[in-house]
Amino acid sequence: MALAELCALEKTLGLGRRNQFSDCQGDSGVPVLQTNNGPGLVGLTTIASHLAKLAQRAELLGTTPEESAVVQQWLEYRVTQVDRCTSQEDTRTILKDLNRYLEDKVYLAGNGFTLADILVYNGLHPIVTRLTHEDREKYLNVSRWFNHIQHYPGVRQHFDAIIFMKNRLYPTIH
Amino acid sequence: MTKEEIQGAQEDQAQSKKAAKKLQKEAEKAAKKAEKQAKLAAESQVADGEDIAKDRYGTPAMIQSQEKIDRVLVHVKDLTEEKVGQVVWLRSRVHTNRAKGKQCFLVLRQQQFNVQGLVAVGDHVSKQMVKFAANINKESIVDVQGIVQKVDQKIESCSQQDVELHIERIYVISTAEPRLPLQLDDAVRPETGEEEGRATVNQDTRLDNRVIDLRTTTSQAIFRLQSGVCQLFRETLINKGFTEIQTPKIISAASEGGANVFTVSYFKTSAYLAQSPQLYKQMCICADFDKVFCIGPVFRAEDSNTHRHLTEFVGLDIEMAFNYHYHEVVTQITDTLVKIFKGLRDRYQTEIQTVGKQFPSEPFKFLEPTLILEYPEGVAMLKEAGVEMGDEEDLSTPNEKLLGRLVKEKYDTDFYVLDKYPLAVRPFYTMPDPHTAKYSNSYDMFMRGEEILSGAQRIHDPQLLTDRALHLGIDVEKIKSYIDSFRFGAPPHAGGGIGLERVTMLYLGLHNVRQTSMFPRDPKRLTP
Repeated sequence: MALAELCALEKTLGLGRRNQFSDCQGDSGVPVLQTNNGPGLVGLTTIASHLAKLAQRAELLGTTPEESAVVQQWLEYRVTQVDRCTSQEDTRTILKDLNRYLEDKVYLAGNGFTLADILVYNGLHPIVTRLTHEDREKYLNVSRWFNHIQHYPGVRQHFDAIIFMKNRLYPTIH
Repeated sequence: MTKEEIQGAQEDQAQSKKAAKKLQKEAEKAAKKAEKQAKLAAESQVADGEDIAKDRYGTPAMIQSQEKIDRVLVHVKDLTEEKVGQVVWLRSRVHTNRAKGKQCFLVLRQQQFNVQGLVAVGDHVSKQMVKFAANINKESIVDVQGIVQKVDQKIESCSQQDVELHIERIYVISTAEPRLPLQLDDAVRPETGEEEGRATVNQDTRLDNRVIDLRTTTSQAIFRLQSGVCQLFRETLINKGFTEIQTPKIISAASEGGANVFTVSYFKTSAYLAQSPQLYKQMCICADFDKVFCIGPVFRAEDSNTHRHLTEFVGLDIEMAFNYHYHEVVTQITDTLVKIFKGLRDRYQTEIQTVGKQFPSEPFKFLEPTLILEYPEGVAMLKEAGVEMGDEEDLSTPNEKLLGRLVKEKYDTDFYVLDKYPLAVRPFYTMPDPHTAKYSNSYDMFMRGEEILSGAQRIHDPQLLTDRALHLGIDVEKIKSYIDSFRFGAPPHAGGGIGLERVTMLYLGLHNVRQTSMFPRDPKRLTP
């Protein structure tokens, strides 16, 4: 899973040279990247940040110290919250929180597209796929952000495009 | 003694001292109580002696039709400003009563109407009478005489807001037990009121105590409106020249597949409970009744515990011979339903609003003429919304609902017809579409995205009927009598059946069909 995601990320970042990933870190599926200079890099977000720099797209990690901090926060959220949500209850909590957070934002880190958007999009894809139209409308801000990110050049890769209705079908929810 | 033992003994002593004190206190309390009671009794005895209103209240003998009393009982709903100053009698239930010093306020309820009553110590009313009024159990039935008085401030909690009743006589006709299994006020509270931490009554408690639950304003309104649906259905069809028929419910063979049918023992053999009056409607058509309808119970032995399935419900069935195209029948049915919707809107506004107070919903919208979509159009709309389904696949319940929302968004109607269902998903007697073999001349009608009617043009040709039955692997011997009824000249005909409970539920925007069934029957409920 994480390996496929990193390969997709390479393409998104326009990295021609394919890196060798493996996931030999125990059973948890944590990916490892053997780099040319130094020890191997471990962990999805660590490798992802490294790839962003390799691709000379450092702006994806935030342009100001504040933005960088927010990006790190969401990368952590991705692996600690999104990846570990198993129950309906967890899913609802995540969507609710995210919906409130995105109320006044275009991207997770504010006004700029960052690595956080890509990784949280990847992580949420299976969850959003399963949502009914009613729920997609209930978490309207998540849907708006998600739809925007999936159409961002190069991000979607192998993921299925998810359809969002442009009109409100359930006006009583709001 | 060790130190600890000494301490322990001391503690014991202290404790026994405490206990003694407590006992003493309790004894004192009891004595005081007894004294008080004696005093009260004495007082009331003294008071009883000088009760000026002895004949103005009480519990008269059970009404066994001893005498014909020439007394007009006014309905609570008629207590308006016009009656101010008049002395009236009425019979009602005690909805609530609460005493406050020398007066007692009662809310008197009759069906979905209520009025405030007041028993206050005065020329005709004694202290004892006020006390008596305050002690009547809730839900008891009382006969009350009083003067209608105008009030300065509207009484918000009652349906009769401009007047109150100054009670002069009050007699208990039927006493209710002091403890009710559920409180009426709890049963009408909107579900959104949960944040106040007030109690609401869950569905099962309601249904277990249906008699009391049916007294609530909401229930009263729902079932009065439901009666209106039946009345409007009859009225409209009779005006269109239909004949009402009665069909047997005990039948010898299952009409639509044998799986979901109740078997009953019938003397030495067994019989079934009718899943629909289908066969009999069609036989009436073959017997030249031309246009028939039928209102009666329908039984489904489906073990589905959903919000919209019952095992016994009331079916409103229509069957009609047509000239050249089955759309003649579709138009008649949609026209009938639209007349029902309009009639409800015009005649039952109070009821609709009453239900809306507890279960808010958007008003029901429909178009004239009714929107007819063809099945492929519906599938296309769903596919556009990202639903993956085959062209000839049946609609799943979630897809049905989603399509309802899509139609509502696009056409702004809660009522529409989906025409030309795939032949494969319909019963064997459905007429195939002459243009495209995989579709059929059948239709479903939807209210708020849920199916209320399923109908079709039926095959009136015995040969084609046999072919279709064989094609679907049905034992032709078993349905011989059905096929035979078409051998002696049968006109082309179509029809459909509606569930009364579902129509009421969806018209009012309710969420459970049990709310619109007076005594619901489902796989888990056989009583009351």
